[in-house]
Amino acid sequence: MIEVRNLSKDYKLKHKEPGLKGAIKGLLKPRFETVHAVKDLSFEIREGEIVGFIGPNGAGKSTTIKMMSGILTPDKGSVLINGEDITKHRKAVVQNIGVVFGQRTQLNWDLRLGESFELLKHIYQIKQDEYEKTLDDLDAILSVRELLNKPVRQMSLGQRVKGDLVASMLHSPKVLFLDEPTIGLDVSSKYALRKFIREINRLRKTTVILTTHDLGDIQELCERIIIINHGVLMEDGNLSQIVDRIAPYKTLVVEFYDETAPEHEKCEMTEHAGNIAKYRFMKNDTTAAEIIADLSAIKSIKDVSIEEAGIDDIIRVAYGS
Amino acid sequence: MIKAFRELGHYLDVTLQVIKMAVMTIIEYPANIAGWMISNPLQFIMGFAIIKFVVESFGEVGGWNYGQLAFLYGLSVISHALSMIFFVQGWFMGYYVIEGEFDRYLTRPLGVLYQFFFTNINIFGITDLIPGILVFVYGCVKCAVHVTPLFVLQVIVTLIGATLIRGGIYIFLGSTSFHTRSATDFGQYTQEIMDKTTMYPISMYPESLQFILTYLIPIGWVSFYPVSSMLGIENNIYNGMLLPFVTLLVGIVMMCLAGGYFTLGLAKYESAGN
Amino acid sequence: MAKYLYIVKTQIIKSLTYEFNVYGNILMQTIIMITSAYFWKALYRNQSVVGGVDEQSMLTYIIISSALSVLMFTNVERRIEQSVVKGTVATDMMKPVSLFGVYFAEDIGSIIALLFQNMLPILLIGGLLIKIPGMADIHDLPLFILSVILSFLINWLIAALFGMLAFTAVNIDALIQVKKHLLRLLSGSIIPIWFFPEGVANVLKALPFVYIYQLPLSIYIGRGDRAEQIAQMQIQFLWLIVLFALFFAIHHRVTRKVMVQGG
Repeated sequence: MIEVRNLSKDYKLKHKEPGLKGAIKGLLKPRFETVHAVKDLSFEIREGEIVGFIGPNGAGKSTTIKMMSGILTPDKGSVLINGEDITKHRKAVVQNIGVVFGQRTQLNWDLRLGESFELLKHIYQIKQDEYEKTLDDLDAILSVRELLNKPVRQMSLGQRVKGDLVASMLHSPKVLFLDEPTIGLDVSSKYALRKFIREINRLRKTTVILTTHDLGDIQELCERIIIINHGVLMEDGNLSQIVDRIAPYKTLVVEFYDETAPEHEKCEMTEHAGNIAKYRFMKNDTTAAEIIADLSAIKSIKDVSIEEAGIDDIIRVAYGS
Repeated sequence: MIKAFRELGHYLDVTLQVIKMAVMTIIEYPANIAGWMISNPLQFIMGFAIIKFVVESFGEVGGWNYGQLAFLYGLSVISHALSMIFFVQGWFMGYYVIEGEFDRYLTRPLGVLYQFFFTNINIFGITDLIPGILVFVYGCVKCAVHVTPLFVLQVIVTLIGATLIRGGIYIFLGSTSFHTRSATDFGQYTQEIMDKTTMYPISMYPESLQFILTYLIPIGWVSFYPVSSMLGIENNIYNGMLLPFVTLLVGIVMMCLAGGYFTLGLAKYESAGN
Repeated sequence: MAKYLYIVKTQIIKSLTYEFNVYGNILMQTIIMITSAYFWKALYRNQSVVGGVDEQSMLTYIIISSALSVLMFTNVERRIEQSVVKGTVATDMMKPVSLFGVYFAEDIGSIIALLFQNMLPILLIGGLLIKIPGMADIHDLPLFILSVILSFLINWLIAALFGMLAFTAVNIDALIQVKKHLLRLLSGSIIPIWFFPEGVANVLKALPFVYIYQLPLSIYIGRGDRAEQIAQMQIQFLWLIVLFALFFAIHHRVTRKVMVQGG
């Protein structure tokens, strides 16, 4: 479906020096430094996948997704969508992609939402009956028809996001790109957005590629994640497998009746505050039941709970390296 | 061939929708209409008054009399108005580059330059047309022009060519911002230079400047050469009834070159927030 | 005061940041100045003195006019518009610094940067390519400087007053353009109004615009006698007071309105 081959992109940044003296110097003799935003990135994405790109700020994930959707021209390498190079055949290829960039709308601010959809209908040459059918399908997921006559400038952020999501899917693209889609959204809008992505992926087999800082998005949506840092691919694979590999541990949280907590030979005590102690253990080493049995033999336990290693552990490990 | 026609149909279809939306937007904000209705004609009525005062103080300008200057000025303002309708966004291209506004155009299956200009079509430019047409008709009467089919054709061809030349210049200037990554708008300056070089005959300037305005920055073709041809005013570079058609040719060439320069710039586009 | 000086300094640094703007502006203004020079040379080809001014004085006029236009830079109207459109006016007004004081300091900062970035290069280029724009009578220098200061203040107040229209009309883009055209044509910055018919010129003399460009420029090239110049400067000063009063009255009303409605 999507092949990314040896993708690279550099930026030239103007070097700024502080103060008035620096400003004058920059005026007379500007200095530039090259930043390698993306270095030799290669991967493939199959039809119907939902892939999440994660990485710290400036890691190159936005640059990658923008090259994949035809916005930026790669310095080296290529992006093939359905076997066609997006840089060389932009107009043909983008007919099959939809794009939603968080915090930026493609809706016309001054007019009713319906007018923006009308324009897209003409741009993508969508036939009237097809348009109505798609709108019905999407309306079933997001109930957007009731917003059609509302001017966009009077909409809440949540409503506008709905409008943007539907707008990006009107021409039934095979691939949907989302760059930080949940940024700044309230809980219910976030929920609606995630539901939308899951549903279009399930019902229309749309391939979804998103970048996010929100680990909830990843946990709820993506089977596959790609971790990028310093423009380089750090991890690529199934979420739970990466978790197992990078963070193959669980944490047992035990509440005692007083402030002393015993050690356990197969665990590392990561935290101990008040009556509560946290024990981290390797999954292939021991089990929670064994530790609880051992501890309760020494001291009476009031309560226990287990914390799974999660995506935030991965991020910590991956970003740290 | 059929494919080309189908594509043309697609663009026309989108254009109509875009114009419809532009008109709806204007109606949404009626207060603006009044502002532009006063502002734009005022500028050109005052500009024309100044020509009159200059002629009264100094007599002929570069060998052109008052009626001929009115004709020149009118035609120039009309092509200016057309360029304001279709190409004024070129002035603000830097802003679009810095703010990453080209993202949207790049992810849609239409030409980027087409979308940039036409989805931002400036219907208010029509308010410039009115004073232009009034002064042009006045100039025609003053010069006792015989309205023949050839004359009408010359006027139409000149207007198309002149609008394209102006548009090409705006694209050239705007596209520099892909390289400089700065949002400066040189619109006001460009306007001032164009005023001095299209609303007065360039024959009043020294030969070096005439050379530049004929061959390097072909502003002379916007109004001076075609109008000389239509009114039969001799100049010492080019003469003849075919000059309006050369204007059209120059306009097409300018557009192609500007489009090429824009495309080069677009490959260096960096979007926003990186 | 220190706060405002800090704003001035910050704005200078900001203005210096984009080197392309700087060189682009110089290039554009040079082209405009040179075409203007040729324009007047062509007009004077068959005449030696028109409107009491000869060709050489006219060339000085346009070089100094270009240089002076640097001082007439204002951003205050856009700043007001932005704060109204973005809805930050009320909070901006609550801040412990005067809103217009900040805008004034910013404009001063920009102008100081422009003095070196634009005015100096323009004078140099004009002097090299057109003529050295010497002053007609060096004894008029104090008078000239005083009238330039008054010009600057009149221009800034007009801009601020236009900006305050943003409180009543949502979008003042068109109005800012109207102002720009009015200023360009009625201030004598491009064509001195002594070329206008007497009736029109008399009307313009009653308006504040000619006192922004034409008066200091006339003093510079030595057009008219000392008594006439001083009489005109009195009108200039009068306009400054009128605009100042107008500014305070409207500012007061607008502030009250914003505070009551919360923007």
